[in-house]
Amino acid sequence: MIDDDVKTIIARVFLIPESEVNDQLGPENIETWDSFNGLVLVDELENHFKIKFTISEITDVKNVADIKRHLKNHNVT
Amino acid sequence: MEKTLSEYLTLSKNIDDLKFDKKLKVAILSSFTLNGLDEILHVKCSEIGIRYQSYLGGYNQYNQEFLNPESDYYKFSPDITFLIIDIRSFLGDHFHYPYNISNKERKSLVKEKINHLENLIQNFENYSSSKLIITNFNIPHYSPNGIIETKSEFGFHEMIEEINKSIRNISKTHNSVYVYDFNQFVSKHGEKNVFDYRQYHVGDIQIALNFMPFFGYDLMGYIKPISGTIRKCIVLDLDNTLWGGIVGEDGFDGIELGNTSNGKAFVDFQKELLSLWNHGTILAINSKNNFDDAMKVIKDHPDMILREKNFASIKINWSDKAENLKQIADEINIGLDSIAFFDDDKINQERIKQEFPEVLTIELPNDPSQFSPILKGLNDFNVLQRTDEDSKRGQMYAQQRERKEFEKSISSLDDFLKQLDIKVKIKKSNEFLIPRISQLTLKTNQFNLTTRRYQEEEIRNLSNDTKFIVGCAQVLDKFGDNGITGVYIINKNEKSWLIDTFLLSCRIMGRGVENAILSQILIDAKKNGIEEIHAEFIQTQKNQSAENFLLNFGFKKQDKLWIYKLNNEIKLPNHLKVEIE
Repeated sequence: MIDDDVKTIIARVFLIPESEVNDQLGPENIETWDSFNGLVLVDELENHFKIKFTISEITDVKNVADIKRHLKNHNVT
Repeated sequence: MEKTLSEYLTLSKNIDDLKFDKKLKVAILSSFTLNGLDEILHVKCSEIGIRYQSYLGGYNQYNQEFLNPESDYYKFSPDITFLIIDIRSFLGDHFHYPYNISNKERKSLVKEKINHLENLIQNFENYSSSKLIITNFNIPHYSPNGIIETKSEFGFHEMIEEINKSIRNISKTHNSVYVYDFNQFVSKHGEKNVFDYRQYHVGDIQIALNFMPFFGYDLMGYIKPISGTIRKCIVLDLDNTLWGGIVGEDGFDGIELGNTSNGKAFVDFQKELLSLWNHGTILAINSKNNFDDAMKVIKDHPDMILREKNFASIKINWSDKAENLKQIADEINIGLDSIAFFDDDKINQERIKQEFPEVLTIELPNDPSQFSPILKGLNDFNVLQRTDEDSKRGQMYAQQRERKEFEKSISSLDDFLKQLDIKVKIKKSNEFLIPRISQLTLKTNQFNLTTRRYQEEEIRNLSNDTKFIVGCAQVLDKFGDNGITGVYIINKNEKSWLIDTFLLSCRIMGRGVENAILSQILIDAKKNGIEEIHAEFIQTQKNQSAENFLLNFGFKKQDKLWIYKLNNEIKLPNHLKVEIE
């Protein structure tokens, strides 16, 4: 359920099909994942799940798996 | 409902700009990261039919852009420039340690900063014809002086207030400069929301991403009047829009207006509407109702704020709302794209949205307490300057409605004109009249012989030039004052005068006023020993109504010019009085 929401949001922010979203995806392999869109993603996730990431959580995201890990820290499961 | 930033980013990818005729060049210069604003403005402009082109200044490069006449910014030649500076970069370390220097040093620091800003703006005015919107600074809730901040001599907050005051004064003395009150933006949405420390430290973002759409919305408040896409008229439903309940069912005494909490909300809404009307927004009624029931409330209800005289058109009947709306637009002689429509009924909202997408249909909720804040939140009624005529406009249109009703009751046009008691006052241009004269040359399209557009400064120069006569006409009649509604500009030569500009506002057309003004010009010329009056008619798509004016008056065409020999008799219309001031 959560995975689906995350997938939808990521696809929307980076303008890619949902089917292309997987755990290994990150700034390295999506052209549209620049630092600004990274922040837009954070903003979307925070508004959707009603949470606030810390600044280190925001800056150390290397891929989708990291996002899910941080979400888990905020009790989003 | 405002869209999210991410929705704007997605939408901005798929805009077909080429389908819009109206172009607007927008420059954004800022001292911090404003990513996303460009996309938001692009989408918002496309929504009102504007082809948006933008220039984004480099990160914190606004000084260089303004000071260098060869800069890419000036080369872009924008119509509108947003200069968005944040208080942290403006004050530098003094933002954190304002009390490390003495109050005298703080004063001179502020002075120096303001001088710098004024110098930038001076340069801008020399090199650019753009409008400039400069943001003021938000006063932080925090002060290192804590609870004795207000006791501090020229303290931290006072410094910023002083800067804001100076920015306000700059906008008062520079015609092309406007202030965006960023301090109010922050107080509207809250500093804790607008400023996100994480986004600030990660990317020097000083307006949080989810508030950027609201910031863009406010900036559209400047783009709309500059691009001529404002709403001039508000069309209103009655039942559950101006009062609670249905007058046809609940009766005069049964509707909610005044005493109850709902009733107070309707009064509040009406007060805001009246306030807009006082400053030139036209009001009209479009209601399905029994005419007599509804008019009784408008005329006699003790808590009604808006009365019959406030409405330029009143359609209270059982006809289709879209049909009524079209008739209102025709009657007032404005485009549907100048109308905002307020109706609580979702079906009526939908009907108008589908039939006339160019009308701004407001999505009113069921809760009347929200009507007034929704109205106040709209950025569609702004003007770049206000003239005396603007504040009288609502009244003039209501008088126009009375004139039309009077006209219907009289059988011949001649009788009608005679009974109107028209008085035309001809006035020479002066400092007080210059803004209105310029405004009329800029916006009159129909009865306009040459459609030459003149900015205020140009009218001022022509008025001071002894080779020219700049004049205008105020028209009054038994229903009231129509204000300054005619303009003429004469280029004087030794033996002939050339009519450079001759125009009449559309609301005064068809009453012989144009003949009266022209006759006076001719009489004046004759007194000055002039032999011929020369005139031009420059055809546009909109000035057909002036096409035969010169011919009918007795001018003869020679090549491209229309000529009137002053040894001919000069006829004066006999149904109106003329006064020369």
